[in-house]
Amino acid sequence: MTDTIIFVLAGAFATATPLLLAAIGEAVAEKAGVMNLSVEGMMAFAAAVAFAVTYQTGNIVLGFGLAVGASVALSLVFSILVLGFSANQIVSGLAVGILGLGLSSLAGRSFENLTMMAPANLSLPVLSDLPLVGPILFRQSAITYFAFAVAFLTWWFLAKTRHGRITKVVGEDPAIAHNLGFAVIRIRLFAIIFGAVMSGLGGAYASTILTPGWSDGLIAGRGWIAVALVVFGTWRPLRIAFGAYLFGALLLGDLAVQAMGFSVPPQIMTSLPYVMTIIVLAAVSRNALLIRLNAPVSLGQNFQPSK
Amino acid sequence: MYQIVRAPLLGAVLSMCWSGTLFAQEPLDVAIVAPNAIGDVGWDHEVVRGKEVLEERFADKINVTVVDSVGEGPNAARAMNRLVANGTDVLILGSFGHMSDGMALAKKSPDLKVLHIGGYQNLPNFATFTVRHYQASYLCGMAAGYATKNQQLGVVAAFPLPEVLGILNAYVLGARSVNPDLKPVKVVWLNSWYDPPRDRSSAESLISQGADVVYSLFPGTPSALATAEEKGVYAVTTLSDNSAHAPNKHLCAGQANFGVVYANVVQSVIDGTFEGKDTFAGVAEGAIEVAGLSKDLTDEQRAAILAKQDAMRDGSFDPFTGPVMNNAGSEAIASGKTLNTSEIKSMDFLVQGIDSRLQN
Amino acid sequence: MMGRYALVQRSEVSLKSIMLVPLVTFVLALLGSMVLFGFLGAPPLEVLYRLLIDPLASAYNISEVVIKAAPLILIAQGLAIGFRAKVWNIGAEGQLIIGAVAASVIPITFPESQNVLMLPAMMLAGMIAGAAWAGIAAALKTRFNASEIIVTLMLNQIAVQILYFLINGPLKDPMGFSYPQSVSFPPVAMYPLLSDDGMLRANASILVVILLSIAALIYVTRTFSGYTLLVGGLAPSAASYAGFSAKKAVWITLLIGGAAAGLAGVGEISGPIGRLQPSLSPGYGFAAIIVAYLGGLHPVGILLAGTFMAIVYVGADGAIIDVGLPPAAPVIFQGMVLVFYLASFALVQYRIVRVQPEARA
Repeated sequence: MTDTIIFVLAGAFATATPLLLAAIGEAVAEKAGVMNLSVEGMMAFAAAVAFAVTYQTGNIVLGFGLAVGASVALSLVFSILVLGFSANQIVSGLAVGILGLGLSSLAGRSFENLTMMAPANLSLPVLSDLPLVGPILFRQSAITYFAFAVAFLTWWFLAKTRHGRITKVVGEDPAIAHNLGFAVIRIRLFAIIFGAVMSGLGGAYASTILTPGWSDGLIAGRGWIAVALVVFGTWRPLRIAFGAYLFGALLLGDLAVQAMGFSVPPQIMTSLPYVMTIIVLAAVSRNALLIRLNAPVSLGQNFQPSK
Repeated sequence: MYQIVRAPLLGAVLSMCWSGTLFAQEPLDVAIVAPNAIGDVGWDHEVVRGKEVLEERFADKINVTVVDSVGEGPNAARAMNRLVANGTDVLILGSFGHMSDGMALAKKSPDLKVLHIGGYQNLPNFATFTVRHYQASYLCGMAAGYATKNQQLGVVAAFPLPEVLGILNAYVLGARSVNPDLKPVKVVWLNSWYDPPRDRSSAESLISQGADVVYSLFPGTPSALATAEEKGVYAVTTLSDNSAHAPNKHLCAGQANFGVVYANVVQSVIDGTFEGKDTFAGVAEGAIEVAGLSKDLTDEQRAAILAKQDAMRDGSFDPFTGPVMNNAGSEAIASGKTLNTSEIKSMDFLVQGIDSRLQN
Repeated sequence: MMGRYALVQRSEVSLKSIMLVPLVTFVLALLGSMVLFGFLGAPPLEVLYRLLIDPLASAYNISEVVIKAAPLILIAQGLAIGFRAKVWNIGAEGQLIIGAVAASVIPITFPESQNVLMLPAMMLAGMIAGAAWAGIAAALKTRFNASEIIVTLMLNQIAVQILYFLINGPLKDPMGFSYPQSVSFPPVAMYPLLSDDGMLRANASILVVILLSIAALIYVTRTFSGYTLLVGGLAPSAASYAGFSAKKAVWITLLIGGAAAGLAGVGEISGPIGRLQPSLSPGYGFAAIIVAYLGGLHPVGILLAGTFMAIVYVGADGAIIDVGLPPAAPVIFQGMVLVFYLASFALVQYRIVRVQPEARA
């Protein structure tokens, strides 16, 4: 029993990592007023590239690097559409996402069903030998620690730094930001690229460390969970980190439930993150003040400085 | 690594006039349809690997075309029809989900012969076959019974379908036949044919509960095996020898050989004796065998496993011979009785020694 | 660098240039895919022939185009009404699934029935269920101001899980060896085929789609007096949508979109599929968004765009088998079409002007 609990509590960190990375990236883009719905496509393309490169070269750093490159390349197409051409953000995101999914099956085609060894997790000296908390907290992948650190740094950036506040102003009211002399388009571009880097890392982690292996459709909706997470965490990095861990535990929950000898339809477990997201969204949107405190007001609206 | 064979230009011409005319002197056109992208192990790999057997046996008497990534859904019929329009004489369908589209096509094209893997409905020109995976599973169960130190086996299984239950039951019967001290076998139901990260998590979950042999039963991917290798526990699997994915800890695999059945069917088409019947092919036909036995097994253990395989081949041994108790404590197979094909194919119980319950 | 050039919305966009957009898109996407797939070893001209000519070169292929076009056009017509009012229903895929699931209950309950009212009843059930599923988003939007984009996206995922649950449980064929699929539907549950030729699968659903497209045209032209193809003529916000209140607009557009998608779901199970199964749609709900945009959110344009997309899909399916195009090809093509469309649309709508540095505030 304790084995199972430790397994779920420890495993949830690993499962949460790609969700958290992608969600933090998307949250920053959305804070700057850009909704990028191509997360699933970016993660998939990055995952395929990361696996292919790491498998061929044995160099996981190169794999992560090129995966991030692939994801950023997709996000530049998205940026040209929404920032350059003022195209609709929703449709542009879906378009680039579809493109990414197609490219992922193309890039991964020669690597179907291949696996490789995951790099060993970090085992922090002394701490990892502590009972209970040792295996749960201190035997995780370096990327997992990185993801939670990024969540913290993003919180700090948005809440405590001047650039963070500017980013939020750009997402609240781009016209005012422009009139204050901020380069709205450039800030949004940086935010989109940051989102792509995070999605790329999340995808690369999924195919080289979490699974590790490639087969078509590997990301299997994790990009959409990340989009949900941003809302679930009401655009706040620390809540998103908590949500990612919760969703990660839910993804493992049905294994734990089975291990305890119960049987719950797995579809209920799989639906829960989405149901909870809808509930949270309805709760925070219900009055103008709450939504203003949480969601970026100009989310999804394009801005042209010379209009 | 394109698995798609370019059809001759003739195909394009034929597709326009929409006729399935069979020229007697032409080589027989065989098309194999796989539901997913093709890897180096697993279901689609095995579906497509049958091509080699066909080409070896029939050489230039046949043309074999392979199409992959044709999953169930409204597009599958289009791919099948296109193949028939291009002159396919024998269509081999590699997914259970191809059943209704394949049946519809067979009804409309009486000259076409269809071989459907895993289905249960037949027409005069629509044959089906299933492999007796449970036979190799029993043998791998023996290997697992020998190899376990913790007396704890773990199984990651796809869906609780009758075929899967049969394979799981045979595994546990095999393991308990050589190791009566086993603790109840733990099972995780994926309820999915395909979910690599969950394959891995499930294997980890079983290992965390003390399992030191993990059986990946109809995995979508080799993830569970790679996980076992990484964690240093033994791995067992169905369909393909996965030694490459677990070079040190690969204990045993049931290696399927669909090509044997393909070849028999193609021969029957050439001879004009094709029947729309069901084939349940096993060790005796060469459609399944144990492979990738670990070097950690002793010579005696290995010999015992292979001896059981020989006994299955000559018919002197059948895993589903009573008395067998189910895990609710009542008799599932009466003493002296051996399950027949339809009883095996509609199996709805778990044998004694499995720590899992079925829904419904 | 940024900001030295800027896009300025044209005050007037000529009809000719608007018509040019889909054309430019097609040419760019075709060129793009020829280059991409040529690079992967498929001869470019052959690809072109496969994608555009071959799908129309035989009765069978035309019938397949019809099958493929019907759900795309139907869903896109429903979505476009919402998109014009800036109501972002991204959940057609889920509405299609729920529509199909609800409708399937009738033939699964009465598999031996010979009642000719079964298909109409299924169509009704599919529309009501699809609309109800979309109605969740409408209710949350109007009651709680929850973004319909997020809600419909989430409802897509939940719909898939509901389908999986039911097809592995109550709606499963009891004689089907526990495989996740329903019984085959009786003939009265199926759309009648358009031809007696046994090979042709095209069915009467396309007639329903055409009728509803005409209805959409009437709806659009009558409710938007002076509606033009020009984007400048689109309603600036939901509030001014044909004189409805914003809330009413949200409800009406989501219900119509959901009903259309639900009906499209019935078209699949009562057409090419003939039963309920885990995989019902190869992403029609998302592809229809592309079709709606490609058709300029106009009923006639959607009819043309849906037909075109269907031609390319059928062509790509053929090319996968005949010339070894990778199976990802149609997906990539789909993405490219939309990307190029969005880009060329913007170029028509805006002009690029040089902004003097001192012009910035």
